[in-house]
Amino acid sequence: MNRPPVWIRIKIQGERGGFRLWLPLFLLLPLALVVLIILSPLILIAVIILWPSGWGKWALSILRASYQIFCSLRGLKVDIQNRRETVYISVS
Amino acid sequence: MSDNRKKILEMLEEKKISVDDAYRLLNSIDSAETSRESTSKTGTATKIKPKYLRVTVIPDPEHEHGKDVDRVNIRVPMSLLRAGIKLTSLIPTEARDKVTGALKEKGIDFNTRNVKPEDIEEIIESLSELEVDVISSKGENVKVFVE
Repeated sequence: MNRPPVWIRIKIQGERGGFRLWLPLFLLLPLALVVLIILSPLILIAVIILWPSGWGKWALSILRASYQIFCSLRGLKVDIQNRRETVYISVS
Repeated sequence: MSDNRKKILEMLEEKKISVDDAYRLLNSIDSAETSRESTSKTGTATKIKPKYLRVTVIPDPEHEHGKDVDRVNIRVPMSLLRAGIKLTSLIPTEARDKVTGALKEKGIDFNTRNVKPEDIEEIIESLSELEVDVISSKGENVKVFVE
């Protein structure tokens, strides 16, 4: 499996203004991990309750797939620009 | 021994060709086989796993300054495509049946349940030969390729 991305850079510029976002994921990931650890008992209870109906397994698979997709984002680059607007997204 | 070599030796035995001719013909067969082997080896060596799907739109330099033209450069990791295709297996059965039904109505007989991991790899590998190069009427050069 790929390593999770460490940076996300987003730049959106329009005629009325825009914004730049520079997200250091390597700093946010430990925080997300802490939140996940805090929420893990609730997640576990939800999975146990939902397991007989089959949705528990599905929920776990969704969590795993979401993490895989998040890791796969590494290397994604979108750069669209014209004279008035610019959209730049880079995941590295 | 290959058929060609055998034939040459037979012709030599029957004295249809001289020793020099036989030598020359055998040499040419040797060189042809060597070059074929080296081509097939380099062919397998250069077959690299595709890493990114690229979509680029480059405006015509003549029109670039005059009109409002778009410049696009998109790079999508193949691993993201792979993960996306795998995600189809997690679509709930009810939703999947609806999708399959809707596709069937449009005349497309495709069920996402039938997509296996080996099929995904095959699709990704076959994408390595993908190359779309279109020049629009505005002079924009649209390219879709894999690198």
